[in-house]
Amino acid sequence: MSMFPVTMNINCDQVPDNHFVVVHPLHDRPEEKVDTENLGPMPMTTSVKLSLMALRGYLILMIGLVFFHCLDLAGLFGKH
Amino acid sequence: MHEEVVAIPATAVESAPEVRGMVVRSRWMRDLLSFLVVFGPGLIVMVADNDAGAVSTYVQAGAQYGTRLLWVLLLLWPMCYFIQEMVVRLGIATGKGHAAMIYQRFGHWWGVFSLCDLELVNFLTLVTEFAAIALAVEHMGISPWLGVPIGAVGLIAIVLTGSYTRWERTVKVLCVLDLAWLLVAFALRPSTGQLVHDTVVPGIPAGGLTSNLVFLVIAIVGTTIAPWQLFFQQSCIADKRLRFADVKWARLDTFLGACITILVAGCMMIAGNAALTHGIRFDDPAQMANDMHAFTGEAIRMAILLLMINAAVLGSTAISLSSAWAYGEVKGWPHSLQMPVRKAKGFYAVYVACVAVAAAIVLIPKAPLQLIILSVQVLAGVMLPSAIIFLQLLLNDKELLGEQYVNRPWNNWVNWTIIIVLFALSLILAVQVVVPNLFPSN
Repeated sequence: MSMFPVTMNINCDQVPDNHFVVVHPLHDRPEEKVDTENLGPMPMTTSVKLSLMALRGYLILMIGLVFFHCLDLAGLFGKH
Repeated sequence: MHEEVVAIPATAVESAPEVRGMVVRSRWMRDLLSFLVVFGPGLIVMVADNDAGAVSTYVQAGAQYGTRLLWVLLLLWPMCYFIQEMVVRLGIATGKGHAAMIYQRFGHWWGVFSLCDLELVNFLTLVTEFAAIALAVEHMGISPWLGVPIGAVGLIAIVLTGSYTRWERTVKVLCVLDLAWLLVAFALRPSTGQLVHDTVVPGIPAGGLTSNLVFLVIAIVGTTIAPWQLFFQQSCIADKRLRFADVKWARLDTFLGACITILVAGCMMIAGNAALTHGIRFDDPAQMANDMHAFTGEAIRMAILLLMINAAVLGSTAISLSSAWAYGEVKGWPHSLQMPVRKAKGFYAVYVACVAVAAAIVLIPKAPLQLIILSVQVLAGVMLPSAIIFLQLLLNDKELLGEQYVNRPWNNWVNWTIIIVLFALSLILAVQVVVPNLFPSN
């Protein structure tokens, strides 16, 4: 006999007051979440926008650097 | 906006008389079962983080510096928990994946950039996972031409069942098997005093701050906190449909996962330390297992090889799923492990393509694996700080999360400290690529 109760269909109206019902998330009714699609882009201050622009430049530069280094290691620019 | 969000705890489903669940009498049993039904995403993301690349990095750290870098792991323990805890809140509040969030809140450019970067780094990482499988099976006397395709087919089979629960159960079993590292470490352990000292007393190993040490510390940080983890856990939480009432259990799941991943990482360093004390030099963990055979015996040799394969399989399924979920979210395709293949063809196709192509590349003779491994480390290092900045901005978005789930001031202090440290390490890595002789060599 299992130490855990078995999963079954439960009529919540008939569960006694001093008992609890545990439902797996995948068996539960979907709950209402934040409606992200109607929120649109995040409102940002000018400083945050500028910081993200700087981050974009930094990332493009770094990725370019990594690719150059990889091509160099692969011997595309001749042997060292 | 947020006031409209209604939390429906598992224990209060009055308006839906008929549900499928369990009836219990005691509070502790309710809490235990509530935790067990939520338990999974946090454990999997953390244990899968100790993938083949991590095994290689941690045993190399042990083989070069013994147990002197254990304190780095202790510092990384709260870092990996705090970062993934933010993902938990974001995933539960929105019910959507990280890629979708970036796309919707930061626009097309950042959405496409994050997705492309994630897919590229994930794919290159997958190649390294299969390279590890090839190495391990070869040392076990099995041809990679047999072992790698079997691994790929197994990885594909575990997701094609059309059941999230079935996939999660299978992967949780693999996570439990990963705990065998504790037995390996116990068999190869140094003195308890040395372990405790090196864990709690930070220090630079003999030889000073060399380029090798700097690179290894960056590799340890990059291995312990990886960008795919953010995407994976949030999508996993969304797919499992965790509820607001599950937040505390999902946090506990993540905390336990963080404890296990750091503990297992320490065990890998201890295995490397055993190689150092016996004067064994190696290029990869499989070779280490083989060379240590003389003093460890056959059981430990086989255990390390099997654990290497287990790590690669865990890493592969989590990384491929993070790619497939992210692609599905941005493309607007159906993307759930709960769906049969015919209803989410694009999602499953991305997963299968990632696994199959990565496995095929490893079987190509003279494939540039070292170049791929280097690219993975550097690209992940570049991507991580920016990914965490987006996470930080999203977690301060009151419009999105409301007052209840938004970051507290102390969260922000901790997270900005982590971001600054990661940026500094990322910059050091970049400078080291440009100026290789910045730090003295060994």
